[in-house]
Amino acid sequence: MTTTTVPAAPEAPARTRHPLRAEALRGFPPLAGAAVLLLFGALLPPSADTWQGDWAKTAAQLHTALVIALPFAAAAGCWQGGRERRRRTEELWDTAVRAPLTRLLVSALPVALWVAVGYLLAVGLTTLTSWPYVRGDHPYLSLVPGDTAALMAATLVGHVVGRAARTPLAAPLLGVAGYAGLGTAVYQDAVSPLNPAVPAVDGFWPVWWQPLAMAAWTLGLAFALTLAYAARRRATALLPLAAALAAALLLSTGSGPWRPDPLAHRQVCDTSTTPAVCVNARYSGMLPQVRAALSGVTGKLHGVRSLPARWSDRGTEPRADEAALPMLTPFGWYAVRGRLMKPEQYAWEAVASLRGDCGKEPERVLLADDAVQAYLAPSPLQRDFDADDAKGDAAARARLRASQAARAKLAGMDEQRRRTWLSAYFAARAACDAEGVPSL
Amino acid sequence: MNPGLPLYARSRALPQTLAALAATTGFAVWAAGALDAYLDPGRRVPVVALAPLLAAAVIGASLRSDSDELDRTAVRPWWPRRLAHLLALTALASAVLPVAVAGHAETFGAPAMIRNILGCVGIVALAAVVLGARLSWLPAFGYVSAAYLASSGARGRAATVWAWPVQPGAQPGAWAAALAAFALGTALYAVRGARPGG
Repeated sequence: MTTTTVPAAPEAPARTRHPLRAEALRGFPPLAGAAVLLLFGALLPPSADTWQGDWAKTAAQLHTALVIALPFAAAAGCWQGGRERRRRTEELWDTAVRAPLTRLLVSALPVALWVAVGYLLAVGLTTLTSWPYVRGDHPYLSLVPGDTAALMAATLVGHVVGRAARTPLAAPLLGVAGYAGLGTAVYQDAVSPLNPAVPAVDGFWPVWWQPLAMAAWTLGLAFALTLAYAARRRATALLPLAAALAAALLLSTGSGPWRPDPLAHRQVCDTSTTPAVCVNARYSGMLPQVRAALSGVTGKLHGVRSLPARWSDRGTEPRADEAALPMLTPFGWYAVRGRLMKPEQYAWEAVASLRGDCGKEPERVLLADDAVQAYLAPSPLQRDFDADDAKGDAAARARLRASQAARAKLAGMDEQRRRTWLSAYFAARAACDAEGVPSL
Repeated sequence: MNPGLPLYARSRALPQTLAALAATTGFAVWAAGALDAYLDPGRRVPVVALAPLLAAAVIGASLRSDSDELDRTAVRPWWPRRLAHLLALTALASAVLPVAVAGHAETFGAPAMIRNILGCVGIVALAAVVLGARLSWLPAFGYVSAAYLASSGARGRAATVWAWPVQPGAQPGAWAAALAAFALGTALYAVRGARPGG
């Protein structure tokens, strides 16, 4: 009997995946990304009152956290760089056909990418949690590319250090050294343009090319170090080094890469009141709440002359015809998550700013100031202050009696007479003319 | 002298650990002097936060054993040795590191330094049990870093507990948190030992 056999069809070659895939999906790199996300998750929520609802502060907080995140990323890279030594597979890898640079990059890039992913997720989540409370302005994402590149560069530098240093303490040592270095660099003006973690100054933002130059500076240095350590032709390290030096030159010469934010110098006003109420354009959405908080004051000031033309919120000294509006920033005091807190205290402070500061005044003027303050916007603590004076010595009790009499007299005037009196009072206070303050 | 003691010390790299603790103390003394803290004790915060972190990382690295499987076949219980190892190194660090921050006990002096050593060692010991001794520095590193930066905007009584690494020495909440971390970490490490292979 004869049997015939059909030759088996040749099997398709097993599909091999790129080793980068396994490196990226397994082991330490995803943990490093999660650790960076957790780090930001621990850093930002405790101070959420100060940045939620303020785009500029949100971006500044994310950027400031680099002081911690950069050494952390370097330590993570350093840990990955020491992996083959810990596994005792260095000699085995030396027999591999792939070039040392390829092997280094296959191991280092996944950590750098996951660190970047962790940071970008932190940026996204922070932005989302700030968004519902925002009352003006726009998201500031211009620092994100440069910060992401700096984190990746720190990871790469850490990886090279981890390969070269033969101690299990290399990673925490590098991290602590990073803290010390960045913490010191913050106070060194000479290196601040090149410091990727230099704190953002309120009201200043980088020009469009700053993130590109910062990325070229940090990544250029990291690639130069990597090529000098692992490339067959070490001279190739000169190319990224040249790019890094060119970027450093660009960052540190001329007027620098930071410019004032034009929006921070603009005011949004409600001119229907006396005085007009202006808030900084960055928080234009807060204007209705501010106007409502001051409505009691502006209602009582209707028809009064010699007042400042407006309350302004410039963050600097008010102009000649302006009074300073109590500052809404930094968030966390008067404004928390887009809501005006303590409106009575806010109105009290706004009234105090109407009369200006003329230095030490005679008792008669102080009594008039107190009466005007009590009439327009009494302090929420006025009862407590009065109770303290009532329990005080004879001088305090006499001062309290005089204050109460002055308050009662101003409150008891008819409308027309009070308007006239207030007009004379504000005219005298604007001129710092103590003699001109009408008596009560 | 117990002939096993030198072998134990070598197997845990204790000579290198002692050298690293001495170097950490030297670094702390230099940094505290460079910060001109006699003007403002608050300037010592970086030293009071980072030096214990570094010392705890050094102690954490010494918790690793190359002969873990062999160790577990021993007849004698390991927990007294683990406990003595951790307590001795913690006591040594607590004795030498406060030299760097003499004075200002109420703010950022020796008590704050000792408290932070205890807290950081507790976290590191806990991490050695969960992650392994090699990576034991990572959670303490992340936590102290986060507390250092986040505490500037945080207020209230809760902040004195969670931000214990940057609190003044006389803060009871900070002491409670650090002692709790130390007790938990030490007890778990004594009972379980460092995670094998980690």
